[in-house]
Amino acid sequence: MDLSAKPVTVALASIPNSGKTTLFNRFTGSSQSTGNWPGVSVEQKSGTFPLGEYNVTLIDLPGAYALSPVTEEEQVVRDYFLGSPPDIILNVLDARNLQRGLGLTLQMAVSGLPMVVAVNMMDEIRRQGITLDLQALIQHLGVPVIEISAKSGEGLPDLKEALYEVIKDPQKTRIPHISCPPLLEKAFFQITEAIDQSTIDTRLDHTFLAMRLLETENRGQWADNEKVAALTRKWQSRLKQSLHTSFPVACANCRFNAARGLAMEVLGEQSTIEDKLSRRLDHIFLHRFFGLPIFILLMFLLFQGVYSFGAPLQEILSVAFDKSGNWLSSQTMILSLPAWLQSFLFDGIWQGIAVVTSFLPIIALFFFFMSVIEDSGYMARVAFLMDRLMHTLGLDGKAFISILLGYGCNVPAVMGTRILSNSYSRILTMLLIPFTLCTARLQIFVFLTAIFFTPTMAPWIILSLYGCSFVAVILTGIVLKLFRIGGNPEPFIMEIPPYRFPTLRSIGLRSWYEMKDFLSRAATLIMAGVLLVWLLSHMPADVPPASAATWAGQLGQILAPVFQPLGIGWQETVALIFGFIAKEIVVGSLAVIYEGTDLAGLMSSHISPLQSISFMIFCLLYTPCVATIAAIWSESRSLKITLISLFSGLGVAWITSFVFYQSGLLLGFH
Amino acid sequence: MMTTTALHMPVSALQPESECIIRSLGDDDKTAQRLAQMGILPGTHLRIIRIAPLGGTIEVTSSQGQSFALRQQDVAAMTCDPVSMPLASELVIVGQTYRVRILLGGKTFLRRMEKKGLRAGELVQIQKIGVKPIPIYIVDMDKQIELGEGEAKKIIIEVISHGSLS
Repeated sequence: MDLSAKPVTVALASIPNSGKTTLFNRFTGSSQSTGNWPGVSVEQKSGTFPLGEYNVTLIDLPGAYALSPVTEEEQVVRDYFLGSPPDIILNVLDARNLQRGLGLTLQMAVSGLPMVVAVNMMDEIRRQGITLDLQALIQHLGVPVIEISAKSGEGLPDLKEALYEVIKDPQKTRIPHISCPPLLEKAFFQITEAIDQSTIDTRLDHTFLAMRLLETENRGQWADNEKVAALTRKWQSRLKQSLHTSFPVACANCRFNAARGLAMEVLGEQSTIEDKLSRRLDHIFLHRFFGLPIFILLMFLLFQGVYSFGAPLQEILSVAFDKSGNWLSSQTMILSLPAWLQSFLFDGIWQGIAVVTSFLPIIALFFFFMSVIEDSGYMARVAFLMDRLMHTLGLDGKAFISILLGYGCNVPAVMGTRILSNSYSRILTMLLIPFTLCTARLQIFVFLTAIFFTPTMAPWIILSLYGCSFVAVILTGIVLKLFRIGGNPEPFIMEIPPYRFPTLRSIGLRSWYEMKDFLSRAATLIMAGVLLVWLLSHMPADVPPASAATWAGQLGQILAPVFQPLGIGWQETVALIFGFIAKEIVVGSLAVIYEGTDLAGLMSSHISPLQSISFMIFCLLYTPCVATIAAIWSESRSLKITLISLFSGLGVAWITSFVFYQSGLLLGFH
Repeated sequence: MMTTTALHMPVSALQPESECIIRSLGDDDKTAQRLAQMGILPGTHLRIIRIAPLGGTIEVTSSQGQSFALRQQDVAAMTCDPVSMPLASELVIVGQTYRVRILLGGKTFLRRMEKKGLRAGELVQIQKIGVKPIPIYIVDMDKQIELGEGEAKKIIIEVISHGSLS
């Protein structure tokens, strides 16, 4: 990177489904970095690219319909504009439906910040035989307007050049006037005047600021100016009394009146035809009778796709790690190290790396298929199909897929909550996913049921555990909704975009970034968890690892009174502690703890079938593995949510096992 | 004749091919704001495309050609002037003349209705509500027929004029 390059910030803003992310990927390529916007579960993405003598930082703002905050995303965009106005706004419009996007464009044009408008999907509109008179847009908005297709890359050099010109010579933009009812105009005028006379120092146009101040109840960062704040309050109450609708709705009315006129001028006498292919496809995919079976079939394929490709890859990785670990540990240099250090390196660090890596194939595949579903437009259809079912939990239909995929592996499922449309759904869904019976837990159940039950009985036990998992998801969902964890449910109003053919490029990029993201965000926490368990099971140094004398063994014995009412002995308690690394380890650690080769025999002599079910129920419901916790932490960025997840799991597990075991005893089983 | 200035589309009227023009977005602030910001404002013409297989959720297109999903009760909460609706909805006013817009149903249904004299474009009046079968008067043929409730639900009629609105 050229260090002498001058830094410029460009904010990429548009309403959802305009192809913003595709454009972002086109411009920033591999320089992307992701994080969260401060304090919220909304993803923040930015990337850099060189432009002449400048080094542009492109900020991918979340999709928002307006700067008046209704959703968390819109709040983020609004705060960003008010708090740290970018040097330039890059606005993306969907050529197929200009009016829809122009509402936001007009709102941003009023800000007075330099702006470039990119009209996307020009290839598709041309296919419909429509030509747009963009001159009208340029004249009305007073900013450069460039025709592009982010998907094919058409028009991108022109867009870069337009950006360059604006950066180099940022002319004072002529601010378009949006006519409003006289009362509103008067309010804007008076508050603008007060701002003019105040000490407020901002690059934003003062009328824009006046509008933003009027639409929020809380006083925001310009509240320290008493005069402006008092005037704003006065006008807020006056408008409340005089307007028939709320202030934001009245403003939207003015904006879209202007947008409608503008869109008509650009289109002339032509009219955009509805997408026939989408209509026809929806006739099949959303069919009254066939819609749901097709959905179930597709989910089955998705599930199979992720896990039947993923499992062998995981297997290969785990064998590779074992072999290379064995080879490394037989090296003379390593053998000369003290035994505890060898164990730390191989059972601790090496094991940790192996755990982290084992998730990569699943995550890549998961996001590969997820992107296909999302980019093609089918995800919106899923939300439509499943809305009724999820509505009872206050969730929308998209959450169904996340929870369903938790039955494969909780970690990518939690990461996938990012696609959900609001914070309430994201938080609630990531708290519910840990109760799904993932394949790692299934391994424990298959092993244990084979020991304790007859081959005819075992599948029924496993099926009941699946049932138990469903019930736990639904009941916990209802309780969490009741306690308003994650805030209030958002209204469900979702655009159904036309179907589009996803590009391999964007799907590939997405999978790649998710893997990278997982490594950078969750890996440290997973390592820490693995090392903690290593410490517990290997300290003090002079006792056999994982034996009763280790810290883990002692902890198991200390916790024995807590688990005794559940019929779980201290040996299983220690295994549960190990299960925190990854549920797959539970069986292996039982073998170590029982210190014998005939694990099945030893276990069946120690544990009754009733106790074994109680243990399995606990395994099913208690805190998922450290990787899931790490994913919840990195998605929510909230200690509260992470702790709630940790303890709700333990609590639900304890209560369920307790009720099950005690009632089993009462009924005369043992 | 019953005249009102503010009408709500009851859930029973929210069937595929039903249409209405938004008068006001309703009281729910969040839903109203969300719709407003998407450009769904008073004056927008809404057309119901389909109901989700599990019910409760509907797909709607606006006059700008935008397709979106929302819940039936959210539309029912708006003030929305009906343009077209099923013959078997609470909105249908006794004695008022409507035009049959479309018959939703298979070939057998169409043939059965044809026999009764009902086809798209025909002017009809409903003569009594709350009774089954529903008595229908076909204006041009000066003929009275009876329809079952299930049949009436599949017949979409449109309001001929809004002249009755005061």
